[in-house]
Amino acid sequence: MPQVLTMERKDMTEYKTSENKGQQGETLLKVENLYKSYNRNTLVLQNVQMALKQGEFVSIIGPSGAGKSTLLRCINRMIDPTSGSILFDGVEMTTLNKADLRSQRAKIGMVFQHYNLVSRLSVFENVLHGRFGYKSTLQGVLSLFTEEEKKLALEILDKLGMKEFAYKRCDQLSGGQKQRVGIARALVQQPKLLLCDEPIASLDPNSSKVIMDHLKDISETMGITVLVNLHQVDVALKYSDRIIGLNKGSIVYEGIPENLSNMAIRDIYGSEIEDLILE
Amino acid sequence: MEAASSVQRLKVRHGKIKIRTFNRSTFVLQLTLSFILLFTIIAPFFLDYSAIDIQTAIFYTLDNLKMMFLQPALNQVTLGAALYQILITLSLAFLSTLIGAVISFFLSIASAKNLMPSYISNIIIAFNSFIRAVPTVLWVLIFAIVAGLGSVAAVLGMTLHTIAYLTKAYSESIEDIDNGMIEALRATGAKWWHIIVHVVLPQTSSYMVSWTFLRFETNYGVAIAMGAAAAAGGIGFELFMASSFYYDLHEVGMITYFALAIALILEFISIWIKNRLIGSR
Repeated sequence: MPQVLTMERKDMTEYKTSENKGQQGETLLKVENLYKSYNRNTLVLQNVQMALKQGEFVSIIGPSGAGKSTLLRCINRMIDPTSGSILFDGVEMTTLNKADLRSQRAKIGMVFQHYNLVSRLSVFENVLHGRFGYKSTLQGVLSLFTEEEKKLALEILDKLGMKEFAYKRCDQLSGGQKQRVGIARALVQQPKLLLCDEPIASLDPNSSKVIMDHLKDISETMGITVLVNLHQVDVALKYSDRIIGLNKGSIVYEGIPENLSNMAIRDIYGSEIEDLILE
Repeated sequence: MEAASSVQRLKVRHGKIKIRTFNRSTFVLQLTLSFILLFTIIAPFFLDYSAIDIQTAIFYTLDNLKMMFLQPALNQVTLGAALYQILITLSLAFLSTLIGAVISFFLSIASAKNLMPSYISNIIIAFNSFIRAVPTVLWVLIFAIVAGLGSVAAVLGMTLHTIAYLTKAYSESIEDIDNGMIEALRATGAKWWHIIVHVVLPQTSSYMVSWTFLRFETNYGVAIAMGAAAAAGGIGFELFMASSFYYDLHEVGMITYFALAIALILEFISIWIKNRLIGSR
């Protein structure tokens, strides 16, 4: 991990709302009996149970179409689950009204495979978009950000090594740089949970390592729980505190990386095991 | 084995491999083209030329065209008056484009399928296609019933048609926005208006400006026609007077040249704006 990151940590924690600095223990997210179906015949998620602790780094692995993205999006209700309960930070997510859902979403950062930055705006503007969850309509529309928020954004960009690009337009960045802006936008929310949907699936191995290192660092030093969807089993093994294996909408494995045997991988990937590139 | 069976499925005609298969869309296309061809060929046989000697007709047409375009002159209007009239025409076009664009912006947000529930957008789309199906001239004449023939009716009618046109153009560029951007902002807890101002506006503004200017050029042309057809004033009215009242082909030619010059200038400005906007921010 780059030395710079460890140097900057102290400043970062000052701005954090969360009082915990990395110690694990409290349950932050509890998902119970979660079901999701888009039509009557197929269940995308079946009876999903999981609990995430503060500061944990958890990976969800599984074949394409297993329901990884759906599970992630059910947590911040970008997709409404069919039934079940999602308890995040002491609040039941599934029954929230619009306004409460908005303030709950502000506490959950999200990172996407295709970065989803507004390409015609600058890096700085894109990062500040993360603050909209705390803004009224007028404040947001008029881009009324406080100096503290701007400093926070710059500090996070600095931590991710992107400060010098602050005024650059996002369509001029490389994939790895865009993803770092995506992470910065999520971090500026000062979230308790970071949902990452295939964050490295469109990146080259080098950029992937940089991104994964940053995500790991975020969970360790800032006490933010990180939940990552991954395609690459080896990456999940290397970075995770815990791995959840998903197949056809059900959790078929849950445990620490060391216990993930080849048999378990076979269970998760089923017949697609032949297509899996390992090492 | 496998290669052989896949070759068997290929369509071969006269020993040559066909690269296109016959399906419904090619059938419809070919049917349409053959009908157009058929009507083009048979139409001239049904025209009634009996009163016209084609040779003299062609001669007089060319003579009139020569008078218009090779000997243009201003006889009834002075140069200053002509320029002033062009200014009036431009203002008619400008006013209807401006009012239309502002209203269209809000309507286009409401009719973009990625921002609004589809029943709302469908209502607006249906309304729009109805307005667009009726020609601008007809709208102006409809408004003339309440406003009287003149510039007010012309601006109202042109504005209505502009709204229908620009709403469609705008909402299509809004629908082209990558949904991921909207999703990303929704995930941060952003409000609907935040997304409009900080995603939709920056991503579509250059397209919106160039669509608006294109419509302004169209409205300029329509405003000339309205001057003649709906007594809206401007250079169109002078054109109408010169041709139908004074029967002065020299002046018709000169006014046409004026209108053309302005259209060319507008075209250049529009290209310049487009390059500036799409090139960089």
